Amino acid sequence: MRDTPLPTPQANLVDLRQVVKTYRSSAGTFTALKGVDLRVESGAFVSIIGKSGSGKSTLINVITGIDRPTSGEVVIDGTAVQNLNEEQIAIWRGRSVGVIFQFFQLLPTLTCVENILLAMDYGGHYSRSERPQQAMNLLERVGMVDHAHRLPSSLSGGQQQCVAIARALANNPVLLTADEPTGNLDSKSTEMVFHLFETLADSGKTILMVTHDNELAERAQRTIRLVDGRIQDEFVNR
Amino acid sequence: MLKARWYKVINDLFGNKTRTLLIVLSMSVGLFALGIILSARTILSEGLAESFAAINPSSGTMRTAELFDENFLESVRSMEDVQDADARRQISARVQTTLGEWKNITIFVVADYDDIRVNKVSSQSGAWPPPEREILIERAALSVIDAQIGDVLLVRFPNDVERRVRIAGSAYDPAQLPAQLDGTPYGYITFDTLEWFGEPYGFNELHVLATNPKDKFWAQQVVNRVKDKTEKSGYTIPLSMTAEPGQLPMNDVLQGILLLMGLLGVLSLFLSIFLVINTVSALLTQQKRQIGVMKAVGGSTLQILGMYLVMVLAYGALALLIAIPLGVVGARELSSALAVFFNFDIYSTEIQSQTFIIQVAIGLILPVLASLIPFISSLRMSAAEAMSVYNTSKGRFGKNWIDQLISGANLWFMRNLSIRSILLSVRNTFRNKGRLTLTLITLTLGSATFISVFNVRASLSSTVEDMIKWFNCDVMLTLDRTYRADKVQHEAMNVPGVTQTDVWIQMPTRLVRSDDSESGMIYMFAPTIHAESLIVSPTIAEGRWLEPDDDNAAVVPSAFLQDEPELHLGGEMVLKIDGKERTFKIVGTYVGMAFLPLVYTNYEYITQVTNRVGEADALMVKMDRHDPAYVDVTTRALEDHFERMGVRVSMVSTINNERTEAEASFDAIVALLLVMAILLALVGGLGLMGTMSINVLERTREIGVLRAIGASNRSVALVFIREGIVIGLMSWLMGALVAIPMSQGLNQALGQAVMGVPLTYSYSMPGLWLWLVVVICLSVLASFIPARTASRLTVREVLAYE
Repeated sequence: MRDTPLPTPQANLVDLRQVVKTYRSSAGTFTALKGVDLRVESGAFVSIIGKSGSGKSTLINVITGIDRPTSGEVVIDGTAVQNLNEEQIAIWRGRSVGVIFQFFQLLPTLTCVENILLAMDYGGHYSRSERPQQAMNLLERVGMVDHAHRLPSSLSGGQQQCVAIARALANNPVLLTADEPTGNLDSKSTEMVFHLFETLADSGKTILMVTHDNELAERAQRTIRLVDGRIQDEFVNR
Repeated sequence: MLKARWYKVINDLFGNKTRTLLIVLSMSVGLFALGIILSARTILSEGLAESFAAINPSSGTMRTAELFDENFLESVRSMEDVQDADARRQISARVQTTLGEWKNITIFVVADYDDIRVNKVSSQSGAWPPPEREILIERAALSVIDAQIGDVLLVRFPNDVERRVRIAGSAYDPAQLPAQLDGTPYGYITFDTLEWFGEPYGFNELHVLATNPKDKFWAQQVVNRVKDKTEKSGYTIPLSMTAEPGQLPMNDVLQGILLLMGLLGVLSLFLSIFLVINTVSALLTQQKRQIGVMKAVGGSTLQILGMYLVMVLAYGALALLIAIPLGVVGARELSSALAVFFNFDIYSTEIQSQTFIIQVAIGLILPVLASLIPFISSLRMSAAEAMSVYNTSKGRFGKNWIDQLISGANLWFMRNLSIRSILLSVRNTFRNKGRLTLTLITLTLGSATFISVFNVRASLSSTVEDMIKWFNCDVMLTLDRTYRADKVQHEAMNVPGVTQTDVWIQMPTRLVRSDDSESGMIYMFAPTIHAESLIVSPTIAEGRWLEPDDDNAAVVPSAFLQDEPELHLGGEMVLKIDGKERTFKIVGTYVGMAFLPLVYTNYEYITQVTNRVGEADALMVKMDRHDPAYVDVTTRALEDHFERMGVRVSMVSTINNERTEAEASFDAIVALLLVMAILLALVGGLGLMGTMSINVLERTREIGVLRAIGASNRSVALVFIREGIVIGLMSWLMGALVAIPMSQGLNQALGQAVMGVPLTYSYSMPGLWLWLVVVICLSVLASFIPARTASRLTVREVLAYE
């Protein structure tokens, strides 16, 4: 990794201030995030790395509203996520954030294009008449247009993840998050999927990606290393 | 000290109280339905037998045209093979109800109310025996005349004497048809009161008990010997009845109901088994990972199987704790209601131990057996497979033709429609086809039963309508004797509102068999047969209806030919009319009530051979309007006019009343069936709730995904509610189809029991649509709780930290 000084952020799409996340259970208390401050400017491609248990998944879940901070502020594109209730977060997330999972999580009874259309139906970003064409455009963008009307079970893992990325883009979100998106793929599929992320970043999408693969992390513009719930290092890779 | 794995069982049972409650409730509804049916069946069967035994039932009853006295009764009592005999006076009178309506009433006069030896009548409440110039009313008849003890009734005897009599009490007479079923109330007076009505002393009804009453053949022989003696003593016997040993008058109907209850019991047993398989599958779905972990740490298949079987046993035991006491209470209530309807007393509501044994066996053993299938398939999984989190959810979709049919490739025409969430629900329905099948079987049987009950109700109405439409008139008047037919018809036409009249003649007769033995009483109806006849042909089963130029032609009930194997269509039969044997040719058989066999012959022929040419004892009247109020008013005017003209009317039957009474008599049976259907629907609904709960459990991750892509609480809940509705609609459709043969079976069983013939089949469209509404509501309710649970799950709970 290159040790280059950080540039001053221009327009912060992601703004985390003193975010703490503590889990309480009968086994005791565990603090996954210990006062994290993070700002990500619009259009950035940021990778988050760290050992298992370092808090990287918790960090991305707090950003997407999947988890709530115990204290601190999480502001995404001007929205204070921690102030929204569960219902409001789900609707906000559908419109503003595209979430990509390690295990693709496509709905098995819907075809590829229907998976994307369902997200469009929930998000309501496009008009009803626009949705079918926009969904096909997204599938074309991820190279899956030929598989539009097939069920996910008939696709390979890499192909499913491409469709999952297209679904994440369904409502043209301001932010894409991906938690170990290549963690369940072979090297060829990994390259295919990562190349897709790079293309999206080049087109100006803001992407936050958790990975344990340092080589892949270096291909992002900026890398954040988490250690024991704190940001230990930040690097600009290119 | 318990081994660790049993602690797990206990924690699983009481740790997830909602799940335990759902499983236990599902099981207990099925067991409750089974218990209530088994117990009620036993209570009613025993109650019926005990009730009947308590009245010392007669082997046969005969009515004489002339009055007889105690001396003749004593001579019958002293006959060899006659165990005992008793006599009464029976009078068909008219009574004005408290609402001013005139009704037929049968009045019995008993010499000594404290020494009734056969067909015993006992006191229910109030005075006993009836005081002079007062009357007792049979307990089931009070509601028929809208009266209560203390009321004063105006009673008109056939001799036109009218007296006001106070109801001094109520009597219990289970040997009579329940009054609400045949519409005729029964009253009991003393001979002093009879004298006050201007009637002479004497009996006209003889009840005979044979020495070995349980032997039907023997009892009949003894009754025939008494008949011979009676006739030789100079008495004519217009009516005689031989009783079925040990059976109350409504025994056949009640047996039909008990049979239906038995069938429903078996049905609910099957539904319980399906519920058990479904609920155990749910349990295993939830526990799949834990099974994997136990396997991974060295648990053997047998050890794990043992744990879960104990768990199922515990669920069964908890279900029994609820189902058994509720079943006992329900069975007692149901039996009491039916006993009131059929007018007999239940002496004991004790539940036989074998009912409990069956319930316990089904509650404990069947769940274990039923759960072995899902257990074995679940335990066959490797530890790795069981712990796998790779798939979004279980349930294969896209493999078979159903999936292909509803998947994207075939629904190209829907691609531009914004119905993804509906498609999601519809396709999710078919993901676990085994579970769907079990749920559908449960719900479909509930649906089919519900629709069938409405079909039976509609069929009963159609049957009654079919029978009533033979009579193309508004009222039938039975006269106290024969009158000049043209005279009564002419007088009737003088009453405003009367547009057409017709007459017939009716008389009791008996079949004389080739061995000279005689049948019980058969009623012969001889209507006029011409183009303007007000009696049209009944539904002919075989052969033809009477024709104007027929002489000795007869049309008999089809069931009659089965009872009398010597007879056949086209063959001859010998009937004894007025003591003389006459031969008739059977030209047709008809479908109809078989309480009493009715034989139709030609009016012209019968009046000739009985020297009654131009006479009639029954009049049919058609009016210019047919609404009940108008018919009642015109009938009253007709009665008043006849009274002035010296024509005595002994019985009045308006077609509207006949229809209402016939339909009302089935209402209790339909209500009972409806209760059973609702119970089955409840079992089906619980089954659906169980299925939807399993679906929510299985698709927890998918719910997270839906949340992650922006689905609101409502959207998530709707996915499951719509799925429930899809299952409900499928069950409705299948239930509607299954209801066709099921209704036919019920019509057959009930028709045979009540009327001796299957009911006229009718499919109730209102029932079908009503059940559609009910099943949608039931589906929404059954899916609502699991759907709400689903919508409350946070993404983190289901995705991030599993």
